[in-house]
Amino acid sequence: MTSVVLESVRKSFGSLEVMKGVDLTVDAGEFCVFVGPSGCGKSTLLRIISGLETQTSGKVFIDSKDVTYAEPSERGIAMVFQSYALYPHLTVAENIGFGLSLARRPKAEIAERVKQTADVLQLSHLLDRKPKALSGGQRQRVAIGRAIIRNPKVFLFDEPLSNLDASLRSQMRIELTELHAKLGATMIYVTHDQVEAMTMADKIVVLNGGQIEQVGTPMTLYNNPATPFVAGFIGSPKMNLFEGEIAAREGCKTYGIRPEHVALSSTEGKWQGKVRHIERLGADTVVYLDVPELQTLVVRTDGDRPVKIGETQFASPLTGKEHRFS
Amino acid sequence: MSRRQLYTGIAALAACGVIFVLPFIFIFITAAKTKQDAATLRFSWPVEWQLWQNFMEVVQTRNYMLLLAYFNSTVITVAAVTLLVLFGAMVGYVLQRRPSRWNTIIYGCVLAGLMIPPAIVPTIWVLQLLGLFKTLSGMVLIQVAYGLGFTVLLFRSFIATIPRDLDEAAIIDGAKPFQIFFRVILPLLKPVTVTVIVVQSIAIFNDFTNPLYYLPGRENVTVQLTLYNFQGQFQTQFNLLFMNILLVTIPPLIVFIFFNRQIVAGMTAGAVKG
Amino acid sequence: MIKRKSPYPYWFVLPAAVIFTVLFLAPTVASFWFSLTRWDLFTTQFIGLENYRQFFREPFLIQGLVNTVIYAALTSGTKTVLGLLLAVLLTSGLWGQGLLRTVIFFPVLVSTIGVGITFSVFMHPTRGLINVALAAIGIHGPGWLTDPALALYSIVFVDLWKGIGLATVIYIAGLASISPDYYEAARIDGATRTQMFFRVTVPLVKPATVTVVTLSLIGGLRSFDLIWAMTRGGPGFSSDVLASVIYKQYQAGFYGLSTAGNVILFLLIGLIVLPLTAWFNRKEVDL
Repeated sequence: MTSVVLESVRKSFGSLEVMKGVDLTVDAGEFCVFVGPSGCGKSTLLRIISGLETQTSGKVFIDSKDVTYAEPSERGIAMVFQSYALYPHLTVAENIGFGLSLARRPKAEIAERVKQTADVLQLSHLLDRKPKALSGGQRQRVAIGRAIIRNPKVFLFDEPLSNLDASLRSQMRIELTELHAKLGATMIYVTHDQVEAMTMADKIVVLNGGQIEQVGTPMTLYNNPATPFVAGFIGSPKMNLFEGEIAAREGCKTYGIRPEHVALSSTEGKWQGKVRHIERLGADTVVYLDVPELQTLVVRTDGDRPVKIGETQFASPLTGKEHRFS
Repeated sequence: MSRRQLYTGIAALAACGVIFVLPFIFIFITAAKTKQDAATLRFSWPVEWQLWQNFMEVVQTRNYMLLLAYFNSTVITVAAVTLLVLFGAMVGYVLQRRPSRWNTIIYGCVLAGLMIPPAIVPTIWVLQLLGLFKTLSGMVLIQVAYGLGFTVLLFRSFIATIPRDLDEAAIIDGAKPFQIFFRVILPLLKPVTVTVIVVQSIAIFNDFTNPLYYLPGRENVTVQLTLYNFQGQFQTQFNLLFMNILLVTIPPLIVFIFFNRQIVAGMTAGAVKG
Repeated sequence: MIKRKSPYPYWFVLPAAVIFTVLFLAPTVASFWFSLTRWDLFTTQFIGLENYRQFFREPFLIQGLVNTVIYAALTSGTKTVLGLLLAVLLTSGLWGQGLLRTVIFFPVLVSTIGVGITFSVFMHPTRGLINVALAAIGIHGPGWLTDPALALYSIVFVDLWKGIGLATVIYIAGLASISPDYYEAARIDGATRTQMFFRVTVPLVKPATVTVVTLSLIGGLRSFDLIWAMTRGGPGFSSDVLASVIYKQYQAGFYGLSTAGNVILFLLIGLIVLPLTAWFNRKEVDL
């Protein structure tokens, strides 16, 4: 069981600095998720930990060992790629056992360990198939199997669920979380999907423009976002964020309130507005209010609330749920 | 299919039959004729079929020289093609995967190899210095040198379709560079390897000019050289001459029947990309 | 910072590089030097540009130079135009067009010597198939290979017979990459078949055209096998080309002169093909 420590990691491609000094500790056995918009550097950071990219400066420690300049195969890591990267010309068994075969382990040992891994992932009946004969979910599991068999200290996942359809994705989310519980291993997981981050992570690292915006548990990030960026990134629909005059009136630079923390009333409230747009989602309804001083206010309310476009409605923030960023 | 397409098709087939197929029929029937019959050079059915006898006679000419020629040609072709596939794939691999300043030089060399006519006498001079002039090994290396440009191009563009993820997964699995190449990349190159083997085999087998210059002498004759030399030998025996031509035409024909698609794909590579 | 080793090592290029440099690059570079000498493989005597002056003085050498350009221009030009027309024909849905493509392409794969000998026989002045067939309809056929004025052009014909299939097949691949959308849009705009050919097909098939022109020009300029098999440059030297001149001088032991021929051929190819490729690439059709 291992911790991963990053010290002042920077990465530049030529004159473009994509990683601007990252310090991070991932504790042993944690499921840590790197999340952020495209281009924020999360994949780069993962690849630096894996050794596939070399940082421009800074250090990487895995299990208290300095692996800053070590080869990927020497770091005790295993990686699951977004595309799975299964060797098309090898069977499932050969794919999983590839690393062992490179290390020239005896055939019996390879077969035994492959079998064990396949059992854990319910792949035993697929061992002789080639990747092209497998479904998306099955290929995922083979990729995971190839990682597990290495007995790595850290598992690295690079957006592994992006290529799956929605229903499969939610199923795989559960499987991965259960796998983590079973193995108890340290896992670092990269995604752009904040739902995956919220549902799977022990700890979330929000990245933006090559820097860490905030590190914390899902609920910490939800309840106490440190910056407007984190506030707007976590939670769907996005938090309402206002700057300028309205924020000044509230005594801060940016004022935020989540749609689900706004109470709607047809009689009275802090803000008055006209209903511009309604999205009925079944369990909830999302109402877009045109409020003069706020422009648009997004409010989440009950699914069967009677609202009509063009109506006048009043909205009030729930106490204690307002966010003021300086 | 419209009427027009049907009739034009038949007309075209007839025209092409005369232009392109007739010569081959001529070769075949003349190869089956007796000496006098063949001397008339007529396009006529053999008066007497001597296919087997002509075959035996040509094979036995000049102490079974044709067999030696076939042996030499085969050795050269097999050896050269093997080296071309191996070395060409290695260069194409590095060229495609590793962006570096050297790449422009390599591309330049490839282009040079395709365009520049080999400097014959200086090459002979180099071969003599290395003790490779008039040897089969020398001929093999020459074919490799001349064939590398085209081969590298083919491999490079095919390797571009293999995702880099596979390289990286192998690196994480602990593969060293030559292991990545031999155990992950090379097996996936099968389609383009077949194309290279087929196209280069035919080209090397049919090559006349290079053996003429670099392999003079009786011991190292190739199939094309033998055919050329037998022109004098069979001056009055057209039946034997054409039997020889027939024998020389058969190997490419066989390859063509089985690998038509790959040959065409290999030769049009670059035509669509530009 | 320590640079880690790349998984794509430079030494992979080594075997190919060694063979290529020693057996191709080095001789090519050396040829410039040797072309300025009188050489018999053991002794070299610097004579400056004398070899080149000879090339432009001796009639048989000049003829070779001229013939080379004529040969290349004729074969390349015909293959470029005829190849495209044939390709268009063979992609128009004719009955048996698959078979047609195969039949036209096969000669590309046959031994050049074999083809040369066969057609020499066909072109025999009295007994050859061509003149026999012509006589049957009352035409007295000429000595295709024995008439100095005709020999080169007869060989051009055989070159086309053998090589048109490759041009056609390359064009067919190029045509396949043109999206039918363009033709449909042209049809809606009211274009005739001819207009579609010149305004849609020709511009969009350009990559194939460049390939065909370049390959056939280079091949035509370097052509040797066919000429050697059919006439050995004769009668006299009326069908000599640079490649056969190079060989003849080599046979005669004039290595310096032969190598000068190589350099001239090199320069000729460079002077013709490079500007042509540049010109083609400038007139880029952006899709």
